[in-house]
Amino acid sequence: MRRAMTNEKSEFRIFTFWRVVSTAILLAGTYGLYLRFVRGWQASTNLTDLQPWGLWVGFGTLCGVGLSAGGFAIAAAVYLLGMERYHPLVRPAVLLSFLGYSTVCIGMLYELGLPWRIWHPIIYWNGHSVLFDVSLCVMCYTSVLLLEFAPYAVEKLPMPRFRAWFLHWHHRMLIALVLAGVLLSSMHQSYLGGLFLIAKGKVYPLWYSPYLTTMFYLSAIPAGIAMLIIVLYLCVRSLNVKLEYSLLEDMSRVMGMLLGVYAIFRLLDLMKSGGIQYLFVRRTETAYFWLEIALLVIVPLFLLSQARVRHNPQMLYWTCAVVVMGFMANRLNVSITAIDAMTGAKYVPKWPEFALTGAVLTGAAIVFRLAVIYLDILPKKEETKPLRWVTVNSPAEA
Amino acid sequence: MEKRRAILIDIKRCIGCQQCEQACQQVHGFPVEHQAQLSATSLTYVDQKQDKFVRRMCLHCEEPACASACLVGALKKSALGPVTYDSKKCMGCRYCMIACPQGVPKYEWTKLAPYVKKCDMCYDRQVKGGQPACVEACPVQASVFGDRDALLKEAWERIRTDSSYVPRIYGTEEFGGTDVFYISDVAFEDLGFVKPVNGSQPLPTLSAAALGESPTVVLVGGSMLGALYWITQRKKQVALAELRETTEAQDKE
Repeated sequence: MRRAMTNEKSEFRIFTFWRVVSTAILLAGTYGLYLRFVRGWQASTNLTDLQPWGLWVGFGTLCGVGLSAGGFAIAAAVYLLGMERYHPLVRPAVLLSFLGYSTVCIGMLYELGLPWRIWHPIIYWNGHSVLFDVSLCVMCYTSVLLLEFAPYAVEKLPMPRFRAWFLHWHHRMLIALVLAGVLLSSMHQSYLGGLFLIAKGKVYPLWYSPYLTTMFYLSAIPAGIAMLIIVLYLCVRSLNVKLEYSLLEDMSRVMGMLLGVYAIFRLLDLMKSGGIQYLFVRRTETAYFWLEIALLVIVPLFLLSQARVRHNPQMLYWTCAVVVMGFMANRLNVSITAIDAMTGAKYVPKWPEFALTGAVLTGAAIVFRLAVIYLDILPKKEETKPLRWVTVNSPAEA
Repeated sequence: MEKRRAILIDIKRCIGCQQCEQACQQVHGFPVEHQAQLSATSLTYVDQKQDKFVRRMCLHCEEPACASACLVGALKKSALGPVTYDSKKCMGCRYCMIACPQGVPKYEWTKLAPYVKKCDMCYDRQVKGGQPACVEACPVQASVFGDRDALLKEAWERIRTDSSYVPRIYGTEEFGGTDVFYISDVAFEDLGFVKPVNGSQPLPTLSAAALGESPTVVLVGGSMLGALYWITQRKKQVALAELRETTEAQDKE
């Protein structure tokens, strides 16, 4: 009913539930922005010398980058491993990653103390710094994603010669882009965990390990896939696009396998790093740890083992939501719980921290939606096209 | 190369007069007031532990975690010894604050363009031949400034001639060695000194281990991915050729 009528003017409603919600978030974010840049840090955050990173880094950066891992995973599967089946997912995956990294870069603009110097790592180098490597990789990879995404927009440009020229060259260097993207992603996804290596003694032993790099990498890929499944499900449900469900189902199998691998490595890592002694200590950190493990590993692995969950789009969607929540719990635990436990910071984010992050994510969701509607990201469902003016090129439409 | 300088803090001698704090705050133009912790306006303070006074400050590690972490190299270990801060490079990422095991770098949270604040052992004064303001202000030589090797000798001398000292210098091994030493007549553990988790190994070795792998990962990973791509392409070509052969064969029939 609604689908058939989308072009009828009478069906157009200004106030839908999600429009109201996203407007509220954007307004709150705007006020948060005012607080951050006019009233200052103490009006907008609860950051202190003991917890100098908080939600903006722990969630905005660590989760933002991690959950955007789907792009390089799908690109590698299709272009390097030859899994042609997943070709229809390349575009949404690249778009998701591109927007994800964009939110991270935008987040930097309020997260950094002196954001107008965000370009400094380009000229001031310190090869010993993990953060330097992360920042260069993220800069390069965001550029790679922009280039991977570019043809989806360029092909819609009304400039045939530029279009042909660009698409020709883009096609020729696509493999190089994909390869660079996989290498850059593998490095900085790991190095985000590597950031905390130097802070040994300030990271609660349940989370500290010399293999934080490996742990971050191994968890980012399934989490990126989970995020992609969530987004694809929402697209099919709410937008005029179609997708073969078996793709999601097969992808969830891969995700389950990767989560299993992660679980094994995590266990071995806990045994090796000595964190295993802290598994049942009576502390709040223990509860946070088990929440993370339950959401990231135990519950999803159980759910994915059930055929009726895998066969049911909605149940698969919720399973992936659990994985994403578990992933967030992991990143927030490493960056906030584990640090607070050692420094005694007792950090709870102030509301503008949530508001700014939420506003940027809402912005990304809106752009994603518009891109799916106006660009060729996912195949559209066939439907009668609305009547348009007759043009020379397409008289048939009239 | 100029000789490395250092500060020796003698906890037995300190009388807790806080003149070092005041001198430091005056030199930096901070409000002169005692704060019971390091902060953006208190780069050194006298910490009372039972009846002992422990002056806290940046230890100026030989291999500082903060300088290793700083992505733009704003924090640097100078040849003279002090770990200095170049505010023109800093972009406010606050990774130094995460990295420092002592929580020394502090942030100006009250400002709209905040910088990191930490002790630089009065580097500018040192370059001009002076000594750090805190040391200069000390009326009882509980803080002494000088050549690192000479100071170490002096510290051992004080320990040797006075049996009440704990026979150990804090700072020779901790965090891979520091340029601020402590000697004391009470066990360091009872005075709130951080026990370095990485033993005598400098903390930057921990991240260096991970970063050192990256060229290998890029080379091995890159060639493996390239090989995978080649195999994928080859498979496609073979499949295409086979298809062509079969269709041609069918056409002939």
